This record gives sequence, C-alpha cells and structure tokens, in this order.
Amino acid sequence: MDSEEAPAQRPVTLEITVEDATAEAPGPDPPKLTISQTPLRENLLPQVESIDLGGEFSTPQEDSSATPSESLMDKLNDQMMESVLISDSPNNSEEEDDDDDVAPMDSFLDAVEEEDHFHETSVDKEEQGEIGQNTTEIEVTVEEQEKDSSVEKVDEETREQTDTEEQVISCVSLQVDEHSPSDPNSGEPSLLEAQETKDYSVPVCTIFSHGTHPKSLVPDGFQPTLIKSPSFSMGSGVETSEAVTPSKLMAPLVCQPSPSLSKFFNDNGHVNPASDFFDSFTVPSSFISVSNPNADIPPGATPASIAPTPERQLSSTSSSISNPGGALDSGAPTPSSVFAPSESTTKAQPPPSQEAPAQAPAPAPQPQPFNTLQAVFSGSDDPFATALSLSEVDRRHDSWLPSEETRKLLISVATQQYSPAYVETTRLTMPGLKFDNLQGDAVKDLMLRFLGEAAAMKRQVLTANSVEQSFTGLKRLISSKNWRAAVDLTGRLLTAHGQGYGKAGQQSSHTTDSLQLWFVRLSLLTKLNLFQNAELEIEPFGNLDQPDLFYEYYPTVYPGRRGSMVPFSMRLLHAELPQYLAKPQEALDRLHNLKTVCLAILENLEKGLAEDGSMITLTQENRQGSLKLWRSRLSRVMYSMANCLLLMKDYVLAVETYHSIIQYEPQQRVQLLSGIGRIFLQIGDVKTAERYFQDVEKACQMTGSQPSHTTCVLMNRAFVSLSQNNYTEAHASFTEVLKMDPKNPVANNNAAVCLLYLGCLKESLGQLEGLVQQDPALYLHESVLFNLTTMYELESSRSTQKKQALLEAVACREGDSFNTQCLKLV
Amino acid sequence: MDVSQAKQEHLLALKVMRLTKPTLFTNLPVTCEDRDLPGDLFDQLMREDPSTIKGAEALMLGEMLTLPQNFGNIFLGETFSSYISVHNDSIQVVKDILVKADLQTSSQRLNLSASNSAVAELKPESCIDDVIHHEVKEIGTHILVCAVSYTTQYGEKLYFRKFFKFQVLKPLDVKTKFYNAETDEVFLEAQIQNITTSPMFMEKVSLEPSMMYNVTELNTVAGGDEGESTFGKMSYLQPMDTRQYLYCLKPKPEYAEKAGVIKGVTVIGKLDIVWKTNLGERGRLQTSQLQRMAPGYGDIRLSLEMIPDTVNLEEPFDIICKITNCSERTMDLELEMMNTRSIHWCGVSGRQLGKLSPGAFLSLPLILLSSVQGLQSISGLRLTDTFLKRTYEYDDIAQVCVVCPYTNNEC
Repeated sequence: MDSEEAPAQRPVTLEITVEDATAEAPGPDPPKLTISQTPLRENLLPQVESIDLGGEFSTPQEDSSATPSESLMDKLNDQMMESVLISDSPNNSEEEDDDDDVAPMDSFLDAVEEEDHFHETSVDKEEQGEIGQNTTEIEVTVEEQEKDSSVEKVDEETREQTDTEEQVISCVSLQVDEHSPSDPNSGEPSLLEAQETKDYSVPVCTIFSHGTHPKSLVPDGFQPTLIKSPSFSMGSGVETSEAVTPSKLMAPLVCQPSPSLSKFFNDNGHVNPASDFFDSFTVPSSFISVSNPNADIPPGATPASIAPTPERQLSSTSSSISNPGGALDSGAPTPSSVFAPSESTTKAQPPPSQEAPAQAPAPAPQPQPFNTLQAVFSGSDDPFATALSLSEVDRRHDSWLPSEETRKLLISVATQQYSPAYVETTRLTMPGLKFDNLQGDAVKDLMLRFLGEAAAMKRQVLTANSVEQSFTGLKRLISSKNWRAAVDLTGRLLTAHGQGYGKAGQQSSHTTDSLQLWFVRLSLLTKLNLFQNAELEIEPFGNLDQPDLFYEYYPTVYPGRRGSMVPFSMRLLHAELPQYLAKPQEALDRLHNLKTVCLAILENLEKGLAEDGSMITLTQENRQGSLKLWRSRLSRVMYSMANCLLLMKDYVLAVETYHSIIQYEPQQRVQLLSGIGRIFLQIGDVKTAERYFQDVEKACQMTGSQPSHTTCVLMNRAFVSLSQNNYTEAHASFTEVLKMDPKNPVANNNAAVCLLYLGCLKESLGQLEGLVQQDPALYLHESVLFNLTTMYELESSRSTQKKQALLEAVACREGDSFNTQCLKLV
Repeated sequence: MDVSQAKQEHLLALKVMRLTKPTLFTNLPVTCEDRDLPGDLFDQLMREDPSTIKGAEALMLGEMLTLPQNFGNIFLGETFSSYISVHNDSIQVVKDILVKADLQTSSQRLNLSASNSAVAELKPESCIDDVIHHEVKEIGTHILVCAVSYTTQYGEKLYFRKFFKFQVLKPLDVKTKFYNAETDEVFLEAQIQNITTSPMFMEKVSLEPSMMYNVTELNTVAGGDEGESTFGKMSYLQPMDTRQYLYCLKPKPEYAEKAGVIKGVTVIGKLDIVWKTNLGERGRLQTSQLQRMAPGYGDIRLSLEMIPDTVNLEEPFDIICKITNCSERTMDLELEMMNTRSIHWCGVSGRQLGKLSPGAFLSLPLILLSSVQGLQSISGLRLTDTFLKRTYEYDDIAQVCVVCPYTNNEC
C-alpha cells in the first residue's frame, strides 16, 4: 500500500523518548500510520463532547451547543452556574489555530462536520440521515431513531423498574471497572491493531505533513524556543511561531435577561392592575404612619388607619418610641405595612379605591400603648422630646459618614437654614421601576414543554397575587424561594409608594420602608442573577450619597433622627453589583469606600466619640454594641472585597484579604484557612494548599474537637488527594466524612463525583439518585442536579426522561427562582 | 462498511465525556442584617443552601464539586482523560462486546483502551465503563476513535464507530536569550509566557544542563530557610503573563580546561517545565535542546583573572591577564602596551612572551595606573604573533573605578 508514503512525507518528528521510550521505539510507527488514514473516510464526529448528547432532541440542543464558543472558552475556569451549557470550543479553536499545515485536513473535517448531529445543530435529522447513508456511517441516525421511539415507549413505571435494575447492575460494573483508573497513562504500545489495517489510501499524508515554518525573528534578541512534550525529541514539526494566542481574557459575566422583560417594557405607562389593588388599601392609611409621625394627619383619619395595622408599629424603624429598649423586634410581622409619603407626595397618591376594606384584612383593633405615644409625638416639633427618642440602636445602625458636601447640606437643613424644597433636583434620588414584572416560572415552562399541559397545571407556586400584599407576604415568597414573585410584589409595593414603573426621574420621597423594599428587590434580582436589571434600577440611587437618603433631610418626618436611610446591606449590594457585570474594578472602588467609612466609624468609637464623630457620650454597653456591629460590617465588606478579587482572579490579594478577615472573625478561622487552601488548589499550587490545610488542623486541635472541624479536616484531605489525582483516596476521605455525618450533602455529592472519575458511573449515579429521592430538600440543589444530569447524559440515550423525572421532583418542591439550566433539558 | 448497516439500529450506545478536573461550586452571597426587612431570611436561606460554607456563608468558594461543564481546552503536555461508557439501550442481552478506543494524532494511532478483551455479555440497561488516559504529545488535531463490536442474541455481528475530534493547543511560549560572561559562564534568560486562558501554577521550571555544564538557578533570593522565589509567594502565572527565569551555566572544569575554549555551537541543555492548573490538573513540557553559539575569541583570547574594582588615582595597581591560544597552531607572542588618555602601563612595552602551543595559556601579571578619576576603561594591549606577523588588539578589556584617596580625608 502507499502506507509507506505516509511516514515518508512527514518529518519523523514524534519520537517518544521519555517514560515510554523503551516501549515505543520508532519501529512501530509505520504500521500505525497505515491505520491513520481510516478516519478520513468515515463520518467524523469532529470533537469530543464533554457529554455526548447523542441523538436526543436535536432542536433543544441548538441552544446549548450553538452558543458561541468564544465565551465558553473564556468561561473555562468560571465556576458560576450560568455557564452550564453543553458545548465546546474545538470549532472555534480550529479557526484560531489552524495553520496551513493542518488546513486540508480540517477543511475535510469541516465538510464532514455537517453530519455531526450534536455539533452542527442546524442540520435537521433527515439531512443527517441522508448524509449518514452516503458516507456509510450509521450511528447518528440510528441513535435518533432509537431515541425517538423509546421516548414514547417507555412510561413511568417501566422507567422506575429500570432504575432499580440499574442499581443492581451498578455493583457489577463497579467490579468490572475497578482497575481501569489505575491504568498507566496512554502510550503503552498495544498499538498495533493488525486487524485494523484496511486499505485506505486517502490523502492523509499531504494533510498531515507539516511544513517547517521559518522561525519568526524576535526583535529583542530572544529566540523562540521549541517546546514539546518531554517525550519528544527534537525536530518535530511543532513550531513556536504558530503561537496560539487566546486573546480574550476576561469573560464578562453575562446575565440572562428575564423572560418577560421585553414584554413589559412595551406596555409602559399602562396601569398595572396590581398597583390599583395595592393602592386600595394603602391609601386610607397613607395619611398616618409610624414612620411618618409628623405627617399632616387629618384628625379623623388617625384612629381608622391605625386600627388595622397595629403590629406595624412594632417593626417600624422610624421612630425610637417604638423600640425604646433598643433591640428592635425584626421578627415582628408586618402584615400590612404602609408607606409613609411625606407631605410633598401625598398628592401623588391615587385616590382610595372601593375595594379597600376587602383587601386589607383588618385585625381587631387593639389598644396600643404606642398609639397614644404616637399621638403625643405626631405633630410635635419639640426638639427636646425628639432628641430623647433617638434610640441607641437606630443611631448605631443608621450611622453613616456622607460626603462633605452632603454633610453640610444636611446640617443646614437640620438647623433650618435651608429648606429641602430648594435642593436642586440633580442632588435628589428619584428611583423608579425599570421593568414592571418578572413573573414567569421557568420550571412551569419546562413542564409545559416536556410533560404536557396537564402536568404543568399541577405545579403550584405562590405568586405575587396569592400572598398578602405586604411585608409578610413578601417574606413568605422569599422563604418559599419564589423570588421572581417576590420581585413582582416589591414592584407593586413600590408602585404604591409612587416609585413604580416609569417614575424614575420624578420626585418622590423616601422612607425607611421604601428603601428597605428597594433593598429587597435589588437583592432578589441579584440572587436571581438578573444583574443587569438590578443595575438599571439601582442607577438612580447614584452613589447613595444624596442628601434625601438621610434622615436629617426630613426633620419634620423623622424629628431628631440622624443617619442613613439606606440600609448598610444595600450599600454593600450596590458596591458588589458591578463585579457581576464585568466591572470588578468599580466594585472594588466602592467596597474600598465602604471599608474607609467602616474604619472611620470604628476609629470614632474607639476615640470615645459617637459613630459619626459627634461628642455624644455613649454608655460602655452601647459602645461595645456599636463596636461589635461595625466590626462585623467591616468584615462583611472585607469578605465582599475578597470575593471580588477572587472573581478577578487576583489570587494574591484575594488570599491576603481572606486572611485579614480572620482578625475580625476569629471563629471563622477554620473555614477561612480552608477556603484559602482551596484557592491554592484551584490555581494548582497543591503544596501551599497543604500548608494552609495543616494550619487548619492546628487551629482545630486548639479549639478542641468539634465535629464540624473534623469534617473540615477530612474534606481538605480529600481535596488534596483529588489534586494529586488520587481519586480512590479522595473518595475514602469523603466516605469517612459520611460515617460521621451521613447527611452531609457536600461529602455525598463529592464522593459520587469521585466515583465517576474512578470509572463507576452506575454506582455514582445510584448514590446521587438515592440522595435526591431520599432527601430532596437537601439535594435538589443546582450543583447536585447538574452532576446528576451530566451523568444521565453519559449513561444512557434516554437521559431526557430521567431529567424529566427530576423536573417533576423539582416542580413539587422548588419555587420560581429555581435555576432550570442545571437540568440541562434545553 | 456496507450500506446495509446504516439502517441498522444499534442496540448499544456509546457515550464519551472528557474528564477534566471537577470544579468547586461558587456561591453568590447576598446577605442582610437582622434589622432589614427580610430579617434573617436571607441568612437562613444561605445556611440551608448545601453549597455554602457553614459558619462562613459569605465565602464565595464552596466545597461542592461539579463535573466539567464543557470539553474545555486541552494543551500539549496535559493528560487527556475520558470516560467511555457503552450502554445497552435495548431490551435484549448483547454478547461479545469489544470496545476499542484509539487516539489518532497527526502522526500516529495509539490504543488507549484499558483492556482489549471482549466482554462476554451485557444485559439491558447495563454499561461497560472505561476511563482512558493519555498524555498529549502533539499539537493539532486529535481524533478519538471509539469502535464497538458486538453480537446480538440472534448471532448477528454488528459494529459501529464514533469519532471525536479535538484540538491540542500550545500552552506556553518560551523564548530564550544567552548572555556570555567574561568568565566562561553563560547566563540563560528564559521568558515563559502562559498563553492559555487560565492561571497556571509553575511547579517546576528547571534547566537540565547538557553534560558540559553545571547549572545554578538564579530564581530565588537568598535568605530564609530555602530562599524566597523572586516571583513572590504565589508562583502562578496569569493568562498572557510572562515570567523571566535566569540560570547561570558554568562549564564543568574538565571541559573548561580543555583549551579553555568551547567553540561553535554547543548544546546548553533543555528546560523542563511542570505546571498545574485547576485542582492539580498537571502538564509537563520540555523544550528542545537549547543551543548557543559560543562567542568567537579569534585566535587568541585575553581574559582577566584578577582585577581590583576600585583603585586610587595615580597609584599603580596589579591585574592578571590570561592569554589563551585558541588557534590550531603554535604562536610566538610579543606584548605591546599603549597608554591611553587615562591609563598608563608600567613596564616595558614590546617584550617577548614566548611560544604558546595550541590550547595553552599563560598568566601575565601587569601593572598600570590611572591619571583620571572615574570609571576608566582598560585598553591598549596589543599582542603580535611574530610567526604570522598578525597583531591582535585588546581594548576595553575591563573597567576600574578610580577614586581620589585624598578627598575622603579632607571631608
């Protein structure tokens, strides 16, 4: 055959010299090369997929595998779950690094690629079938047919049968494959497959022959150096000049747009029925509010409006009278929290609606001591009384150091030299909803698509309509993980406050409650990974330094109260947000600002001053309380900085920052040191990681044996074993954790992952599946489900059905914030 | 292959998944304080989330392992690992299953299967699993060829194959530069650039010298127990970052003395680079033999064996020159010393140094003084081979710093 020509045309480049040197003498090369031509005749599936999606739904795959591979390449090391997309980049990388030398082969392969069912998704099945026949390749079409028929055939019961069967078999397969992972690497010379030698005279030789490229001259006197695997001798056709330079470095964190967003942008100005509904009960009581004690209250309205909302006052943060003891009862329910529009916006409130009594459930009016207090204070502008009422806790939590300009303005407002009415509008905060409604329940959408309308109808989740239109309802939505609905509800509540859709840029007043609502809304958007939406809506808040975000700006509404209306957590969120939008530098700047303020306040406290530097004498107890709070805030800011640095992959600073948190949070020493160790493992520095893990063990010994610490030590050991490629040992360590803490979800999941790397797919699957079935509360987590679905895809061509079963399990338990991407159904 | 097979439904399904290292799940901490509207709801949600670190929920990097999400990139020197699973999708028992995994590179075909023996039978819904490993040694297109042959229960022999193509990329860009010292030492500067998209921990970058040289690594700063790396505490390379490694090579005495000359192109050695990335994913590369063109010294090489670095103005000082005959013939040498504006040689110019056979050298103590302060260049030596009447000029042999001893006293 012309097989002899193949080696002849190639420079003999690939002589393997190192470990397998003896095994792989140049001798065997020519026979190998005869075989080398075979694939070119075949239907080539031109890439290794991490998961062979086989012939499962071809259309759904379009979404995942057709994703531009650039971003995926960038996301290689990105651990965020958004990148759960099955696809890979060879296509792209080909374009990048294909040199002339390989071009002919690639062009050939490209042509064949079109037959590749999981790769070229635009090709429909029939086309594939045809090509498959032409090119004598079969499995593509066959699989799809098989799949299609099987989907319909197998019903739930049979599947359950098969599941159990699998578990039995898994033991067997485990034994069979026990040895495989320990196999020595690669190049063992069992290469000569004599029976494989078929007569193929495809033009491989030309395709593969590398021309030796002239080495590019490097101006600075450096000469490019040939690098290659240790086992190569010199003279391989591989050149430094064919440098592959991936130019893209940072993958911007893209957040998925909310499904219904565009729709809601269209109907701007349209009155949202929900807001009517909400208005109906807020309006009657809007003339009185605890947070608005000085509001112009029509005397007649007072009792009526207070009556239905007695508890509200307990949780109100506005006035110190409600919580003289200092410890604010945050747990107190606020069934019908009410907004307190100041005088300026009262007129903006829509008129009371008819349905008001029906909507606002009126608990039996109870005599409230606060009511009387309230009555005393409302309308009072006695500075002495209000000063007295300034509670310690309020001051502690609300303290903030605004910019010099803002501070001056606030002082002049407080000393009545300046009326807030004259503040230029550019210095005011005028937020408004930027989109109306998220609604949407991705789980239900998927059910509609895969399980049919009947099944989808069974899905019951709380929506913004099905709960009380109040803080209580909001909390219910949050705790039941219906964050999308919760976002909707915040939207309604804010609309009722006059900061609804399209209200951005219009003057409105701020209250403690309205800012809390904004905080909740923005937090939830962030939790839902809807960063762009969050950014849009936080934008009118500027840098949170406008005077109207401080209590001093409202001397009549909040007499004597000082400090920031914006909760600290919202400042933190505001600072963190840019890092998720590929602007980590901006996030760092903001976080450093927060840190500076925290440090300044701590310094003030240590100097014996009040938080804001004023000469208020604090009792020892209060000072300690304040110090404690601000230290914990500082450490929270540091955490955010470290997290941000980690996202930026600035590992040196990230480690330094995490390390510095230990001084503020000594009780988190073990977790922090372990975390730093894991960072080192992530960048591949196993030795340094081990040093940190040793520190962890020392720290654990000092604090005595807590079970959580023992777990931590074992976990760390497992991660080190894993990094040394010793999956057996890693599995043993995870299993040991499970002996002490059988319910540990991390150890369970990680042990299953190790099993897969050990070649025990069935066993690994069995373990994860069992967990999800037994304890869905713990294991219906996106990381576990992602692993599970990945294994389903690897295991069988019928993974879609198994994934659908997972979808059903999810539908029973999870709220609308569930990230359906991890099910990999689309 | 015959066309009839194309219509055949296969009873077995083959799935392949590349096993890169798993990744650690990252949380997105959103917290609030007790006084905020959600109360401790957010914190509670985070505590209940199994992927957070208990007790330190704000720590982003969790402990939950997630399987690789895409094929990723594979680089020269890394190990390609892949899970191969053959699953019986049918409802019948399949017999004599043989699964073969070969890797077709641009030059060769390697068998990667752990075992080449057939599995006797495979029941419905069960799997044959194999994890293959291969250290990639070539750049460019690789094709994983998986072939499955089996016999149905009706005795029909079936066969199918699947191909998975991937590209092996180059992970590093290495450039080298040699500096020849006045002594026979050679300094090698190696610039190593990470051209992957992920940070890389350089576990080992060492120079394996050829037999002629001993090597000293100059990449640590003395002090401490084992010396601190010049690259700081964290020895990792961000994407596109470049790092310079410096090595000093000294010829072994037996080679150095052999004529004191290493001529022409010599092999210096090769760089051995071991790196690790995510969770210990390891890669290893060696450069080709680094070659260096030894500087030509002409027929006679003049080097300095001893010279003070600082001398006093107008005070004689000693230097020792080493004159080596690098030519193939015997020379009869005559030494001339020419004064320059600042350098004044002491002693007689034009003296005979005698015969010097090839490869031999002689040490020549000389005395000179400088009449000018500052950094002065020693120049003006002339050697003449009286056999061939050829004169070799030696200027700017070395520099000395000339200081005035009196100014110090005055101060």
